[in-house]
Amino acid sequence: MTSRMLGIGFLSPAIIAASIFFLLPVLLTVMFAFTNMSTSTGIMGGDYRINTEQLRSVGETGISAESVEKLETAGFQITETGLAALADQFDEKVADELREDFLGESFAARRDLERVLRQLDDPIRKTRDRKAAADLFAVTIVGERFDTEEQFRAALSDTGINPADHDVLAEFAYTGWTWTTDNFKLLMELPSTVRFATNTAFYVVCTLTFNIIFGLFLAISTFYLPGKYANTFRAIWFLPRILPPVLYVLMWNWFTWDNGFIATVTGWFGVPPQNWMMQTAPRAWTVIILINGFVGASLGMILFSSAIKAIPSSMLYASEVDGANRWQQVRYIILPQMRWPILFMTSYQTLSLLTSFEYILLATDGGPGRTTEVWALAAYHTALNNYGGNLQYGLGAAYALALVFIGIALSVLYLRFFNFKELLAKPRIEQ
Amino acid sequence: MTANARIWPLVLILTIFSAPLVIMYFYQVVDSIAQPEPGSLVPGAIDVSNWRFLWERIDTGRPSIWVVTFNTFLFASTTAFLVTALSTTAGYALSRLNMPGRPYFLGGLIILHAFPTITLIIAIFIILQFLGLFDTLLGIILVKAALELPFGVWIMKGFYDTVPWEIEMAGVQDGASRLRVWWELVLPQVKPGLAALLIISFLSGWSEFVLPLVLAPGSGTQVLATYMNAVIQDDATADFGLFKAIGMFYSIPVIIIYLVFQKQLMNIYGGGTKG
Amino acid sequence: MTNEIRTSALAGAIAVLAGPTFAEDINITVWAGGSNDSDSYRIEAIEIAADILEREAAIQGEELNITVEGRRDFTGWDEFKQGITLGAEAGTAPSIVVTSHLDIAPWSQAGYIVAVEDYVDLDSWPLNNVYPNLMEIASYAGTQWGIPQDSESRPFFFWRETMTQLGYSEDDIDALPARVASGEYTLRNVLEDAKKAVEMGIVEEGYGFYPRPSNGPDYAQFYLSFGGELVDADTGKLVLDKASMTEFYQFFVDLVAAGATRQNHIGTDWNQWYNEVANGRAAFWHGGTWHFGRYAREGNDDFWNTIQFSLIPAGNDAGRPNTITHPLVYLVMNQEDDRVEEIAAQLIAIATEPRLNSLHAIQSNHLAVAKAQSNIDLYRGDRWASEATEVLLSSASSQPNHLQYGAFSEAMFRGLESAWSGVQTPAEAVAEVEAQMRATIGDDLIVR
Repeated sequence: MTSRMLGIGFLSPAIIAASIFFLLPVLLTVMFAFTNMSTSTGIMGGDYRINTEQLRSVGETGISAESVEKLETAGFQITETGLAALADQFDEKVADELREDFLGESFAARRDLERVLRQLDDPIRKTRDRKAAADLFAVTIVGERFDTEEQFRAALSDTGINPADHDVLAEFAYTGWTWTTDNFKLLMELPSTVRFATNTAFYVVCTLTFNIIFGLFLAISTFYLPGKYANTFRAIWFLPRILPPVLYVLMWNWFTWDNGFIATVTGWFGVPPQNWMMQTAPRAWTVIILINGFVGASLGMILFSSAIKAIPSSMLYASEVDGANRWQQVRYIILPQMRWPILFMTSYQTLSLLTSFEYILLATDGGPGRTTEVWALAAYHTALNNYGGNLQYGLGAAYALALVFIGIALSVLYLRFFNFKELLAKPRIEQ
Repeated sequence: MTANARIWPLVLILTIFSAPLVIMYFYQVVDSIAQPEPGSLVPGAIDVSNWRFLWERIDTGRPSIWVVTFNTFLFASTTAFLVTALSTTAGYALSRLNMPGRPYFLGGLIILHAFPTITLIIAIFIILQFLGLFDTLLGIILVKAALELPFGVWIMKGFYDTVPWEIEMAGVQDGASRLRVWWELVLPQVKPGLAALLIISFLSGWSEFVLPLVLAPGSGTQVLATYMNAVIQDDATADFGLFKAIGMFYSIPVIIIYLVFQKQLMNIYGGGTKG
Repeated sequence: MTNEIRTSALAGAIAVLAGPTFAEDINITVWAGGSNDSDSYRIEAIEIAADILEREAAIQGEELNITVEGRRDFTGWDEFKQGITLGAEAGTAPSIVVTSHLDIAPWSQAGYIVAVEDYVDLDSWPLNNVYPNLMEIASYAGTQWGIPQDSESRPFFFWRETMTQLGYSEDDIDALPARVASGEYTLRNVLEDAKKAVEMGIVEEGYGFYPRPSNGPDYAQFYLSFGGELVDADTGKLVLDKASMTEFYQFFVDLVAAGATRQNHIGTDWNQWYNEVANGRAAFWHGGTWHFGRYAREGNDDFWNTIQFSLIPAGNDAGRPNTITHPLVYLVMNQEDDRVEEIAAQLIAIATEPRLNSLHAIQSNHLAVAKAQSNIDLYRGDRWASEATEVLLSSASSQPNHLQYGAFSEAMFRGLESAWSGVQTPAEAVAEVEAQMRATIGDDLIVR
């Protein structure tokens, strides 16, 4: 087996997975961003229907008044055709009785006709049969569903609506989604767009700064501590990284909420109990940044620690011999060596902070008053999660698309920045 | 380096910063079995009623904790296995095998690696739904595994890169196929990497919250993260003791893995990095 | 005993006569949103109905086995609706849902639900006994999509002791509901009294007026109080009345400025909220009829002597005292198998039997959906159910079933949130709401 074949074989499962769950979603997100897809349009396309609610505004579409009237007045009518079908499918006697008493009469709603069918001397007894029987007399298309445009147009013709109006009505009656650029227009117009963007920038910058400074501090301080202490602190700070987010945030909730730790301790000094996480926007931000910052600092600590370990100890010894104090050692030997790890951490975390919202969702859910709503969370709320169940997939995708673009642009930038060629050392076995 | 040690100030500062975490850990354990009275921080009498969720349903509308735990275990372990298996082959291909387009795969890998796809969740829903895998454990397993894959491949490539070429050269010169060389000579060299990846992906699956929440909302596919969140959010009970007991139960595997593999884990996270 | 044997023998004989029968197995799944233990009858009523339907079928010689599987462990309405919507898209939706009537418009448009009127006779028992206005709320665009599952209303509450300390006599307090209803006691008075209660130290700062801590239909009530209108009767379009909306937001901003309400009130934990209002920590608040039972669970077993309730007071001359009833409805979701839809529709019809519905109404402190329920001892014997019905339901209105109402109410609440929390002034917030609504609702909106 050649190495080429083997390579393709080895790589293809991963490539298939990446195509299905990365590439395809990116393409779909681009597509959705240009639609008005929402709960009421559905995702899988729609059908054709005009209901009484739409009937009120059908006049505004510009179709002829005659067509409007035809749509409005058509209901259920007892006709010979209908009666023949009834006699055929149900009962000759019922049809005869109906013909005798009601031929030519119209009913506005199916329910009215159902009542008649129920009160005949020889009634149709089963509910579903009665409904089916009533449908035989339908001349209206209002409230009916048509799966395809052809069926809908055929029904329009049957109702006698001017063919000139069919195109407009077909568009009017379509319940599915359509292509549009409105999502982007809306994003440009809404003041909240700027707020979410500002929130996101604030969140990323603050959290990142905290991560790096505190991660550095942890790494350097544990480096200088004797093993026993260093390991204890490393252990304490490593745990947030692997604890399940739901549990980790629960601990913070307990720490900051009304009956929690801070409220209890401050309560001893006469401060009324209050929610230290949600009381004000600055507090909410502080807690959010700490929640994320502690997890990020723990990553920073690990990364920077291993980078410090990689510094040849001879350099550190030499500096001590030269009489450098601890601070000078950090300043002139350790920190310069941290340049690449810091850059890596910055680039890597910028992306992941931009797009992750799990901790914010669990902690404040964007509150109080949407002050901690970041871009990714806004996308999630818009597209998938809000009280009214009004899921706007299209608009949500437009939000997500902005992040996709930023993500790809930043990644490409980093790729050029960090020496990519280095990763590409040629395989040394050539067959 | 330790001669001019004035470590106490440093220890003090670190202790102050670590205090919130230590307090949280401490009361996480204490509150689950001996909750203090309101307004006090002294643990109360031992009370196991917070653990009642183990032997009865805390609310008749919820699934049994054992079913949920089984789901979580199935989800996390299958994901870990899938990620490890696919990363092991793909990592080798990227590290050692010469094939067309390798630079592009590597570049793509790095982009994916740095690109959390949670923002694509709407589109991922559509795909799952198209595959008929919405609201199934298999569906979220596949998605989670795919999302973890770039990280896994990256880690495994790193491990393969450290294996000396000579081992393979020797094997190839003896006339073995590349496949056999990989299986018999190279794979044993990266065993620590395999183990680490298994553990990390297991932990990651065990903690996953958003994917099951959105992509598997049914009661048959609840995992501990969504179960626990639902109990916390339920406005009929605000019982931190109960929440913390569930949290303790939820974190048992995490703590065990942490205690046993702490050192190795830190090394891996240091080498691979994951946001 | 013998009689019973004879009956079953007879039934057996009929079954044999009716020809070979085959057992039919139907699985019905019921998902109920916003439900906890006390709402268990939303699902259990379907189980009882299944038993009845099986027996009816057996008498007709058919063997029908219905398995009912219920689910109500959702994190919140958000997750519930997310689950239903995505499930419906994926074809894994439950057969029956218990949800807000507001979902009817979008879900019927999307084809997620089927009309119950296609499966059951609305003119026969028990559906012909359901209050017509409730049936109307469960219909949309001329089609009866669902059947009301319960009814309720959302009163304004007063803590009696605080009112006494504010200088109201017992008689004054007893007369409050009437004064509110006549428009004599308004939200301006609420603001003044709440401020006074805080200043006098009767309640803590932020506890003068203690509103619902999350989004909900309740907030539309204040829009109505200030003269707003949700829907234009002539055209059926949604209405954004900018003046009313601004005054409605301003009211909350004034409350914050007066120290009567916390600026970050939204997002307060519900458990904490229930506990506080049930035990008199707040002077004024508003809630729902079902809070009655919850307050008892929070340790207040003397509702009648501690709490007074009324309509939501009017806010200004243009507005009116009001309350919104927000019935949940049973809906049948679109299934691959038409037979499942049919059985599901029959089950929800049976579950509407006055006796079955009363079990839910009384257990969860909701109000009746059918007239006959007032003749059922269980229901009639309940003081809360009867008094609340009397004081509130006659003035109750409901939110419109409109395709875009979800977007409307979401925008309205977001605006309130940002004005309330001080991110924007009421005027700015209304301007943003207008922009948002014009963009998302478009032609279906009238701006005044």
